[in-house]
Formats: sequence, C-alpha cells, structure tokens
Amino acid sequence: MKFNVFLEDPMNRVRLPLAMLAMLIAALTISACSGEAAEDSEESVFDVKKEKAVYGKIQHVDVGESIDATMAKAGLDVFDTKCSGCHKYDERFVGPALGDVAERRPPEYIMNMILDTETMIENDDTVKCLLQEFLTRMPNQNVDEKDARNVLEHLRDHAQNN
Amino acid sequence: MKRTTLWSAVAIVAVAGFIFASCSTDGGSPALGGSDAASQVYVAPGEKDLFYNFVSGGFSGQMSVYGLPSGRLFRVIPVFSQDPEKGWGYSEETKPMLMTSHGFIPWDDAHHPEMSMTDGVPDGRYVFINGNNTPRVARIDLRDFRTHEILELPNSSGNHSSPFTTYNSEYIVAGTRFSIPVPNEDISIDEYKAKFKGTLSFVKMDKQSGRLSLAWQLLMPGFDYDLAHAGKGASQDWMFFSCYNTEQAQSVKEINASQNDKDFIVAINWKACEEAAARGAGTVVDARYAHNTWSDKTHSATHTMESKVRVLTPADLQGAMFYMPTPKSPHGVDVDPTGEYIVGGGKLATVIPVMSFSKMQKAIASKAFEREIDGIPVLKYDACLAGEVKNPGLGPLHTEFDGKGNAYTSMFVSSEITKWSLKDFKVIDKAPTYYSIGHLCIPGGDSKAPWGKYVIAYNKITKDRYLPTGPELTQSAQIFDITGEKMKLLADFPTIGEPHYAQAVPAELIAENSLKLYPIEENEHPYVTKSPKAAKVERKGNDVHIYMTAMRSHFTPDNIEGVKAGDNVYFHVTNLEQDWDVPHGFAVLGARNAELLIMPGETSTLLWQPEQPGVYSFYCTDFCSALHQEMQGYVRVSARSSSTALKWNQD
Repeated sequence: MKFNVFLEDPMNRVRLPLAMLAMLIAALTISACSGEAAEDSEESVFDVKKEKAVYGKIQHVDVGESIDATMAKAGLDVFDTKCSGCHKYDERFVGPALGDVAERRPPEYIMNMILDTETMIENDDTVKCLLQEFLTRMPNQNVDEKDARNVLEHLRDHAQNN
Repeated sequence: MKRTTLWSAVAIVAVAGFIFASCSTDGGSPALGGSDAASQVYVAPGEKDLFYNFVSGGFSGQMSVYGLPSGRLFRVIPVFSQDPEKGWGYSEETKPMLMTSHGFIPWDDAHHPEMSMTDGVPDGRYVFINGNNTPRVARIDLRDFRTHEILELPNSSGNHSSPFTTYNSEYIVAGTRFSIPVPNEDISIDEYKAKFKGTLSFVKMDKQSGRLSLAWQLLMPGFDYDLAHAGKGASQDWMFFSCYNTEQAQSVKEINASQNDKDFIVAINWKACEEAAARGAGTVVDARYAHNTWSDKTHSATHTMESKVRVLTPADLQGAMFYMPTPKSPHGVDVDPTGEYIVGGGKLATVIPVMSFSKMQKAIASKAFEREIDGIPVLKYDACLAGEVKNPGLGPLHTEFDGKGNAYTSMFVSSEITKWSLKDFKVIDKAPTYYSIGHLCIPGGDSKAPWGKYVIAYNKITKDRYLPTGPELTQSAQIFDITGEKMKLLADFPTIGEPHYAQAVPAELIAENSLKLYPIEENEHPYVTKSPKAAKVERKGNDVHIYMTAMRSHFTPDNIEGVKAGDNVYFHVTNLEQDWDVPHGFAVLGARNAELLIMPGETSTLLWQPEQPGVYSFYCTDFCSALHQEMQGYVRVSARSSSTALKWNQD
C-alpha cells in the first residue's frame, strides 16, 4: 500500500484531524486503491480499456482511426469554457492532467465522466480512487452529448498530436 | 414517501385524530391541534412540502418562501430592499433595480404577493408584490425566484391596494392609499377636499414576455384606496377596490376618517376602461417614474425613466364605475370563486357585508342610485347586498375561500378566524389565533379554483408564543387544517418582517420549471469571462476591470498587481460552474460595498475602491469544496504615483 503517496503529496493541503486520517487510511486499505489513481498520469497498471464494466449512460462510442478536425475544434472551445478551469494537459491541477487521457481511458469512460459524472463517482473504482486523491468531486458541467463527443475528439486529437 | 402515500397517511391520521377528538373528555378547544397535529405538519428529512407559500416580508421589503404544511422557510427573495445574503442592491448589476424617481432606495415595505393567473387560477409563472412606501410593483420570475422587473407608479402615495391581477393577468392594479395633489404640487394640506385625488393604476402585462407597462390611471375622488381583488366568472371584467376616509379627512384620521357608517367598494369595469383608453379617451400627461428590468442573459438590470401616463377621469368612463356603500371603513375586498359574491372586510363593522354581483348588475340597470360623487353613481346598499354575516367576531379584515362553499374571514380585534357559509351567510366555526390576525391565505384561496386543505393565519402580534428575544419578537404564522367542518390548529411558524398577504400553490406548479443554473453559453454579460484563458485585467483611466473566473476552488487570476490607491476596481466574476447548487462568493478586504454571491453561469460585479497601498486578500465566501479555504488571492495596491505595472496570473 502506498499511503505515503497520499500523505506526502505536496498538493494535498487539507489538514485532517487524526481520527479522520485514521479512517481515511482504513478506507484506503479497504478500498484497495492500488496507487494507480495517484499515479494517474503515469502508465496505468491495468488495462482499463478491456476489463472494466461501463458505468453511465454511454455504453458504446464509435471513434474513427483518424481525428475529425471540425469536431476537435468545437471540442476545444467547450473544453476551454467548461473543463480548463480544473484540468490542464500536461500537469496535475484541480483534477488529473488530460493530455493523454484518450490513451489511458476508453472513450466510454471519458464520455460518461463528462455526461454522467455522479454515476461514475459512485460506481467506477478508478473514479472512486481519483476522488480519494483529488478530494474535489468533479462537477457535472451540463455538457450535452454532442459537445461531450466533441470534447472526446479534442482529447483524442491532443493525445495523438501533442 | 410518495405524495399519494403521504396524503393517505395524512388522511388516516386526520380521521384517527377526529375520532380521538370526538371522544375526548378533556374539554379542550377543538380548534387546538390534538396529539396528531404534529404528524400533519411533519415532513420527514429528505421529503418535500406539498405547497409553496409566498409570504410578504412586510417592512423588510422582501418576499419569503415557505413550504407547507411544514412552515419551513427556504428562501427570501430580495425585492425592494438590499439583501447582503444575495448581494441584491449591492452588486453593480442589481443596483439599478432599486432606482426610483427619488434616486436609489435601499429599503421599502412590501405587502401583498399575488400570483399571475391563467383563466382565474394561479399559473406558477410569476408572483407580484407591491412596494408600499415609494409606490412600485415588482414581478418575480418563478423559474429563478428573482425579481425581474420593478415599475414605479407616478401620482401615487402609499401603493397599498396592489398588485391584484385580472383573470389572465392582463392587468395588475395599484391603488393609492393616500390621496395627494395630482400632479403633486406645493399647496396647503388644508386644500385636501378641494384638490387631493386618488389614483387607481392599471399596469398591463405582456403575456409573452411578462413585461409591465403603465396602461392608464383613473383619477378618483380623494379617498384612501385600501385593497382590491378582481372579479371572476360572470364578474371577471370587473375590478373591486375598497376605500375608506370617504369623509376626506386629512388629520387625525383614526377619528376623523371613522365618522361615516358606510364607506365604499368601488366596482370598475376594466374592460370598458381598456376600450376607452384604446379610443384615446382621457389625457396623456407628463410623469416621471422608474422602470427597471432584469435580464437573465446579461445578468444585469437596466434602469430607465418613463415620462408619460394616460389619465382617465370618471367623465371619460360613464357606466364603467360605481360605488357600493359598505360598512364600515372596509379593509379587504374579496371575491368568491364563482365571482358572484364580493365580501367587504368592514373592519369597524359588526357584520361582514356580502355584495352580490348579479344584484349589482340589476341595480345598475335600474339606476338604483342614492347619489353621485364626482360623476360616479353610488348604488343603494340594499340593492347590492346579498346578505350580512351576523356576529362574526370583531374587526373583519380579509376573506379567503376553500372552493367548497365556505369563506374564512380574519377577525383582527377578536383574534380569530371565522368560517362561514356562502349559502346562508351563517357562521360555522371560529378558531382563535395568537394574536391579532391580519391577512390569511388558503392555497388558491382568492382564485376561481382553490386547492383548500389549509388556512394560514398571518398574525400581527406574537407576544408569548415563542422564547423571548428582547423587545423585538419574531413575526408569526399559524397553519390550520380545514378539511373538516371545524378548523384545527396544526402549528405555529415564525416569519420575517411583518407578514401581510400570502399566496400558496401546489409544489408541482413551480418545482418542475425551476432553473438549476444559467447556461454559460447564453451569458451575454459585457464583462463575462468564459474561460480562464480569457481572464485579464484592463485599466481605463482610474477604472480597473478585472475579468475573473471562479471554479472549484480557485479564482483566475488570483494574484493581481498594478492597482493604485484611489482606483475604481471592478471585479467582474464569472462562475464557470455548470452544476446545480454551486454558487461561489467573493469578498475583498475593505470593500465598503458588500460581497458577491454568484450563481453557476452568472457574472457579477463588485466595485472596490482601495485607498491605502498594501496587499489585500480576497476569497470565496460560499463553501464550495474541500479546498474552499484555498479559494483565495491577493491584490497589490500601489501608491498613486507608483509605476507598478498591471500584472496578473492565469493559473
């Protein structure tokens, strides 16, 4: 277990009472967050693309091999307004860095995080671990499905071309 | 628990309670709630109330929103007064809403909530309320529970008989309580009888947009116009106003305006007035009055001054206005759901006079007039009277209806609600109130189709009902079950200001249309910042505009330099959240103005005028996340003569 990753994280400035800390440690032990979440921007320890259940209302997304430039541009505009307040591409901010998220997560995961945030936070083990690390619940930013698909395209574009 | 289940439970409990009460030998008043009363007003944690209750905030100038039957307060809608909790009247965007022809007015007195209606029934779109002191009417949009429009009324003084609406809210009325010189001029008060007039204003509402405009004013004899209600059904083209001081006294009115045994209810055919105005009757005169509107696209108010109003006199309206004598100094005037009965709250009378609309029509046709006042025929009392409720108690003020043939009248002097039958005008029940009831409210109780179930008393005096809080005590309401023959007191609940009138409607009429946020895409505020990338600081002379975003849990920018002592610093803060119930706050040290509270998708502006060089902190005042305490920043203020360059960060 890597409690130390959590405790020593210089970004984590929340001061917790000891009892609460103990409970958190217990919770961490029980929920067995592997540290994968804490190292989200590094290479993942398991291949989430194939093995995990899909939570949320988007059960399948067809993405092409190539990037649809129009969609990606539209997605960038939405990203700037509704996502960039908390997510950067290459560094951790309020939430995880998203520059390569399209390579690390299946498209359904990305769409559901945008469109069905609450369901993902409640059910998806990866997201639960991310919440334990970042401690700010990702808000539902009221993005419609078309815009969410465009954001996905923008993130695919960024992952492929940066 | 689903609503139907809750109702069943309430019904079972009510039946059980009734049986229990019937067998009880304790001799207690049947009006006092039995042991089951608590369950009838108990709304379990997480459950929701059945009705919204919009209650006048009285001298606070605001409107409060309660749930019924619980009596839980869950919103204060700022209207005519500044509200620090919401930044209303403090932020640059909202200040224009409180502008009048007398300048900025931070505190008024609000009396009568009235809901917009479609076909004589509340439709849940808007709730109106009157500004009593500096005469105004306000329109509150129930999608976001915000005041969207305030219209001032010229030639008026004490806008009390307001803002009652016609059956499709074609018009909202506003009658003056004080008669004054019209146009106002510097003359002796001793000229009251000769020169003072009362105006009854009709404010038109555009059905599509809800926008208000002052359609015309009726120039009436110099009485005190007190309350009003529209007709319905057969009488729907008529508006009824009560008036007192037909003695036309100008001093010690307590005595001098209480001389006549009968004063009046004036019946006005507003359709006929509308036709006359459309024909160009009357005169259009100069008038200065404020018209303030709110936009939920720019999240800003616009204050404009209007300059004209059409004035109609009785001579322009032959056959459209009649006085019905009414004992004595009537306060409320209330029309039953059928539109046939017009009930006068003859506050100094020993009876409750009930007028008949059909008899009034016959009296008009047969010219059963006793005299004329300024060209307005005075109908004969007996020719209009349907009946009098005898021995109702003392000091009848207001009447509401349950839609089952019963009327409920508040009795101020004897502190009780009197239930009486519209069939025979006989008293059915009386329930004491604690103390000195003013208005009362039944859900839909002034409409064509009341929902009934409860009557709520709004009391003027609380005295010993709550733990004492020094000389100033809470204001108070009391809710009674009216599903049975006898009224049953269920609970007391505290209210803000002094509650005057109130309206109540089923929750679903409003809850389903309630906005959760303002879409950021639709934000047209001139100083909006739609992404942290667009955050910036601009100087224009001594004005510094800070384009700032707020997102859990940081402001962008949060380090600003280059501000100088004596600058006008405008923080234009855009809340980029698009999630329900995530407002951000904004406060900066030394702001003489206030703080901001910014809804998701909204932009609000705080003006800050620092005078001393130094470094000042700002922070979010509305707890927003685990890192809320980190949502803070600094502004450096340099001396006027310094050359500190403008500088800010973007993350």
